[in-house]
Amino acid sequence: MTSQQDDNQTAADDYQTYGEIVWGQFKKYRISYWSLYGVAALFVLAMVSPVLAMNIPFYLYVPEGVGPETLQGTSYPWFVALFDQNFFDSGVDIFFNFLLFFLPFAFLTWFVTNKVGNPAEADPSDPPIGFFAGVGILLAAFFVVVVLLNGLLSKEVALALVGIGITAVVVRAATEKTDERGRRRLFIALATVVGTIGFAIIYYHGFRQPFVDYQALVELDDGVRAIFPPIEYSYRDVNLLATSEPPSWQHWLGTDAIGRDVFTRILYGTRISLTIGVVAVGIYATIGIILGSLAGYFGGRVDALILRLIEIMMCFPVIFLLLTIAGFIEEASVFHIMLIIGLTGWTGIARLVRGEFLRLRNQDFVQAAVALGFNEMRIIFRHVMPNAIQPVYVAATFGIAGAILIEATLAFLGVGPPDIPSWGQILTAGRSTQNMTMILASGFAIFLVISLLNLIGEGLRDATDPKLRK
Amino acid sequence: MISYIIKRILLMIPTFVVISMIIFVVLNLAPGDPSARAAADGTETVSQDAQEAYRLFQQQFNLDKPILFNTRFSLSTEDVEEKVLILANFQRPICLDEEALEALEEAEEIAEEAELAPDMAPDGEGPVGEEAELLELAAEADPEEEDCTPLAERPSSGEIINAQETLTNWGNYTVPQLLTLAKEHERADVRHLAVNQLSTNARRPMLALSDPDPPPEIREQNREIARENSTLRRWQLPMDAEEEAVEEMLRENWLPWYEEHAQRFEFSTADKVGIFFLDTRFAKYWENLLKLDFGLSTNDRRPVMDTILDRLPYTMTLGFLAILLAYLIAVPLGIWSAYNQNTKRDQFVTVILFMLYSLPSFFTAVLLLEFFAVGRPFTWFPTGGFIGEEARGMPLLTQMVSASWHLILPVICLTYGSLAALSRYARTGILDVIRADYIRTARAKGLSESMVILKHAVRNGMIPILTLMGSILPFLVSGSLVIEYIFNIPGIGLYLYQSIFMYDYNAIMGCLLISTVMTLVGLLLSDISYAIVDPRITFD
Repeated sequence: MTSQQDDNQTAADDYQTYGEIVWGQFKKYRISYWSLYGVAALFVLAMVSPVLAMNIPFYLYVPEGVGPETLQGTSYPWFVALFDQNFFDSGVDIFFNFLLFFLPFAFLTWFVTNKVGNPAEADPSDPPIGFFAGVGILLAAFFVVVVLLNGLLSKEVALALVGIGITAVVVRAATEKTDERGRRRLFIALATVVGTIGFAIIYYHGFRQPFVDYQALVELDDGVRAIFPPIEYSYRDVNLLATSEPPSWQHWLGTDAIGRDVFTRILYGTRISLTIGVVAVGIYATIGIILGSLAGYFGGRVDALILRLIEIMMCFPVIFLLLTIAGFIEEASVFHIMLIIGLTGWTGIARLVRGEFLRLRNQDFVQAAVALGFNEMRIIFRHVMPNAIQPVYVAATFGIAGAILIEATLAFLGVGPPDIPSWGQILTAGRSTQNMTMILASGFAIFLVISLLNLIGEGLRDATDPKLRK
Repeated sequence: MISYIIKRILLMIPTFVVISMIIFVVLNLAPGDPSARAAADGTETVSQDAQEAYRLFQQQFNLDKPILFNTRFSLSTEDVEEKVLILANFQRPICLDEEALEALEEAEEIAEEAELAPDMAPDGEGPVGEEAELLELAAEADPEEEDCTPLAERPSSGEIINAQETLTNWGNYTVPQLLTLAKEHERADVRHLAVNQLSTNARRPMLALSDPDPPPEIREQNREIARENSTLRRWQLPMDAEEEAVEEMLRENWLPWYEEHAQRFEFSTADKVGIFFLDTRFAKYWENLLKLDFGLSTNDRRPVMDTILDRLPYTMTLGFLAILLAYLIAVPLGIWSAYNQNTKRDQFVTVILFMLYSLPSFFTAVLLLEFFAVGRPFTWFPTGGFIGEEARGMPLLTQMVSASWHLILPVICLTYGSLAALSRYARTGILDVIRADYIRTARAKGLSESMVILKHAVRNGMIPILTLMGSILPFLVSGSLVIEYIFNIPGIGLYLYQSIFMYDYNAIMGCLLISTVMTLVGLLLSDISYAIVDPRITFD
């Protein structure tokens, strides 16, 4: 009986969800479509920047009797340094380094458990191949963690990480969701939870190790073997023998006033810009959605109050407010900047969501939900919200570009930590030392990211507009 | 229409009240102390004169007052005693009991280690902070002395500064309590400290401090106060004064003085209510606000309002020129691309404008400066400022030429970013009306094409773009901050920027309030212009 009903409700073959329609439309805007790939490429670049540029070798062999005793034999210092909070002092870097490890495993696990042993197609009597494969991958991950990151994590922490992973695979394999969309959603949720817990463990473990000058060690040349990343600089290393150099083969974009490699700094700056954009917009989208939905759904006094609040916030010229708040925080960090942008930028999204809620509130499906006696939380979050959320995506895409621009402007005005490799800071430093390469490179990087994001936003807006359907 | 405008203006009042409250909260809760910044050298204020200057500064800018409510009239002798005791305990030597000896040994060990291996000590310093201090104190300590502070009760430097500042800020309200302490406390050093504190706290603040030119009667009163204050200031004793001298000072000077002025320190219930609400920073802030007086700048001691009025014309000129130029370019461009809809030309222009929109204005400004002003390769334009030095005092025409020469680059930087959005709106506006029946009618009855476009299409199609005016006004104020900073134009934005780094609260407050008022007015104007352009819109 149940299966019969399910059959009746199965959609037609050409049925498309709203997301699929928008995606299909979006693909027709070629520039926006390619911009999406551009931003994805930037994200990957941000993730793999330690692979490209770092002054710590992937592989190191030190024969006996050379250098400090602790380094003798074969070691893999690069892998350990990725989570070293002396080397990467910012949580942003540790996070991207974690993703560098985590994302490949997550994709592999998804691929194996989904394609190799699809629980829907597998014969129940067969051994659950997907499950075994997933566990196998996680054991391999465990091996990598213990061997490569030797000394970073205690065995217990590594075991705990793998334990979480195996639980995820078990839950994933045990669920009987048959359609791929549901399984993908479940897997993404699981991977997010596992990733968050894993990152929290690694970050709060607070791993630090003493500084070792590997380049000097290699120059000793007593049988020391090492494989370095292609660009042998870190974004923090000062070299007073090579200050303000013009571009050359050693330093692709030259060096700054205290001898740091500009290309490396711009590369790592991608991480900061993307993080600032996403986190700041995440904060204000959350605030905006909550306030906007309350105003739109309840109307009346709540609406009037929130509208007034929006009006008040909109009266402040953004830069004035941001600069005032940021100027008063002593030693403002990147996270302060994100928080400030997040707390002041929510008005646009709140108005959008309010408008959508006003439109949807009186529609039949909401009335039906009310008639069924659902409570208000359920109606707001399960029924109205999914229909009201789509203009937020467009606003958020433009918002990320805006947040990156605001951060760059604040950095340009001298607010925020002066030593982080943020593009705005590099531009300011270039301007104060009359270094044209730095100005052009960082300015172009900002321009590139902002225009890519704006192009995506433009395409997304047109794709979600039914009047413009191609 | 009139009633709508009045309603809007009335609605602006509560909005403005909340805005000024937010600004007050932001400025008062923000960390960082303007008076600490005001100490020119940034060193600790130790000398008497410096302390006095600091106190006067606090008084002048109401920083000695509590933020929201004032309950200082209800302070008890115990509250005051607590603070005085902290100061007294600090000035006594430490007891050389067991605990202190242990700590001392530890400190010595650290010091020795540091001497043995200077590289190993953190930051390469010797015995750091507290340990060093302990060593010094122990060297002075006399094991026979009875008046001493046990190590555990020794106040930290934070507590001392806090106690001193709180006591001084309590000002007049604690005179009776201090007098009681000076008369009755069992410790001689506390009595001594109370007398000295009295000579600070009993002084009265001057009236109308922020008024540069007070009326004669106030001036007379101020002279009176100053005379009394200078007498009171002399009634304190050096640190090594004998107990008898303290007694004598109290008997000879303070008790008679208090007899004479006792009514000053007795508060009726009505007084208390008044003090509770009105003698606070919040009340003073509002008082100044209602007088449209933002107080003096803590930086150059000029009234903030004057500076703002001086600087507003620069920002307004810049903003007005940029808006004008943006509309002059964007509207025809929008109409043109609406006419060439979906052609290659249209797409080309859209892409160009879009790229301009994505180009950060500070980047462009820096590049333009480098290329056209600094001399790599051109020196066509001046590098900054609003008007050239040589043009000051010259005929108006010369001044205008000089100003426009200086403003070309800044206006370009302010304008190009808004072109994309504006022309997009203009284009959509025209496209929305161009297929309307009345346009077809206009064509059908044989009107010329220019007539159709200008009279019928443009007037209706430009309504959306007018609403943008209001939202563009704040953008120009804030957008001009960066441009003013780069081109060194002395407008509001640059003033705010400088004030923030000087911790000049009154100036920041003034700039924020003025800019929000301008935004509110801009929103109102855009709504009104909406109604004027489109007769269909009524606000009833």
